[in-house]
Amino acid sequence: MDDSTKRLLQQLVRRIPTQMLKTTLEKWGRLTTEQQKSLDFTQPKWVLTENLLAFCEENGWTTKHITELEMIYVTDSPNQGMWYAFQLLDPEDDAPSVELTQFKEQFKIHLTELIRHVSIKIKKHTDEAVWIRIAWGDSFSRPNHLKPTYVVHHLQTPYVFMSSVTRKQKPLLSQALVLATRYTAIKDAHLSGRKLTAIRDVVMKQYQQVFPTKYPSPLLEQNQTASNPLIKREQAESSENRHQMACEAFGYGMVPQLQTAVYKLETKFRGITNKTMTERGEPIRCVVKFTSTNLLESFRNCASSGIASTPVTPLLSSITQKGRNFFVITDNGRGPS
Amino acid sequence: MEGEATKGVLSVLSRLEMQARSRKAKPPQQQNSVKELKSTIDALITQRDQLKAQIETQMCVQKLRAAMDKQGAHEADEEMDDGSENSKLLRLMARHAQLKDLLHAHHLIGGYDIVKTCQGKGVCVSLATGYEGVYLDTYNLEIDLKETLRIGRHNIPPFIPVNSLAEQSNMQTDIRAFLGALSQHLNAFAGRKQQVKLVKELHKSVEVLETNALCSILVLLLTVPREKIAVLCTLDYADHTRCLPTRVCIECEDKELPGSPHWKNNITLLKETPVHKALITMKKMGYIV
Repeated sequence: MDDSTKRLLQQLVRRIPTQMLKTTLEKWGRLTTEQQKSLDFTQPKWVLTENLLAFCEENGWTTKHITELEMIYVTDSPNQGMWYAFQLLDPEDDAPSVELTQFKEQFKIHLTELIRHVSIKIKKHTDEAVWIRIAWGDSFSRPNHLKPTYVVHHLQTPYVFMSSVTRKQKPLLSQALVLATRYTAIKDAHLSGRKLTAIRDVVMKQYQQVFPTKYPSPLLEQNQTASNPLIKREQAESSENRHQMACEAFGYGMVPQLQTAVYKLETKFRGITNKTMTERGEPIRCVVKFTSTNLLESFRNCASSGIASTPVTPLLSSITQKGRNFFVITDNGRGPS
Repeated sequence: MEGEATKGVLSVLSRLEMQARSRKAKPPQQQNSVKELKSTIDALITQRDQLKAQIETQMCVQKLRAAMDKQGAHEADEEMDDGSENSKLLRLMARHAQLKDLLHAHHLIGGYDIVKTCQGKGVCVSLATGYEGVYLDTYNLEIDLKETLRIGRHNIPPFIPVNSLAEQSNMQTDIRAFLGALSQHLNAFAGRKQQVKLVKELHKSVEVLETNALCSILVLLLTVPREKIAVLCTLDYADHTRCLPTRVCIECEDKELPGSPHWKNNITLLKETPVHKALITMKKMGYIV
């Protein structure tokens, strides 16, 4: 067993929270029953790490085994790290019939053609998602398993989610993905966040959306403030209306947890009060960034409580409608581009 | 000339006489035609009056219609000043025309639930799906009504090609064809998804090895009872508008098995019946556990 395997195991055990360690190791199934029993999970992390390193030596685990463990941990906790969504464009005729084995094979072939030292592991998760782990090397060095890239793709959908990809690796990865999925191009979907599940739900429309229908079921309003019944009755209709519009824009019930929305503004300054600014040739640039632990929930609350005006501005409702949270707004474009 | 000379003067005279007689006979004929023309005029006048009356009623009906459309049928009823037989009839006619238009509109949109949105600047179409008499998910699609129709917000999963369906079926001119195609895709998807669900629920002994989000591929692990041989069964639903597979493939360690007549029958059965039902039949016949 070499040092790199040891380092990998050490790093991994440090990352896995203690309460998850037991189940993750059980799922992995590389420990003998005795070894499993001998581990005392109430002990501090470093003791456990020492024990596991000893087992590693004993069982002759290699990097391959440790990466297996890592993949189990990462797929079980998809809401860590930063995830970026990409959209595949222009499918070929046979794109809808790509199946797992074919995809695996093609992806590996195409990526190894582009870069020689690369270690690829592909696994299908229970929720129909294909998880890809890539450890990158370059022409002179072996794959670095300490900083792997993770890619998640649902077959037959035009979306790919990536985590920890460098600028250098992205083109290679994109090309391999495009060829393996039988699409012709890929573009940044301008959607990112800490929770993979949230990003997936936004682009796959897997959250509860509200539409105007003939037979509306009353939307339950959350945390209604008890106030004077007369005031309440007077405002009931408009508040119901606001709530409906807020839900139409941002979703109902549990909404996908996005953390940020960024608007980059590039526009000519307009206003008579400031002459020097108006006469400036260059456009003014500014960035508006909204952050929250659950941005859509915050927006919805603002709109339904009347803090933000309804109908909700397309700038905000575009987040769910277009499935993105990064926008560049210029003078020429009417809406967010 | 020579011929006439031979006939002589008498014959000429008699001809002249004939001509004169025939001229005398004409006046009564002319009188007849005048009578006819007069009667036509009368008929036309009555027709004109009828048409005038029709226009008048039509105008009345239209006016009533407009009022009805604006305020709803009941209020328009109350507004009528006299309760004469005529006005009652007019009201009925207006209501009839309104219902007919509604029916026509409903027919045009193919019986989908459509709601106006954004003060009439858009519509929201609800597409319900169902399989074997069970209502499944309802999908919604907002369409902006501008010079050209534009698809807005919707909750249709990304693997249903909404935009290419809109192009293929010429949504701009034939919205019904587009909605029809979309509904077909959605219903087939819902049906396949339900089948997978039913297989998982009804057949504990059958293992679902693989399926995808579109439910266009289904790989099952079946077991032959006595020999306990594992059979890998791949169902490929290449036609996404249907709930039945286009290709069924059987793989097994026993090379003879896929070619046997029983299993050939099973393959046709799987191709022609929904998978959860086919599995029931196969189980009953004792081909699988």
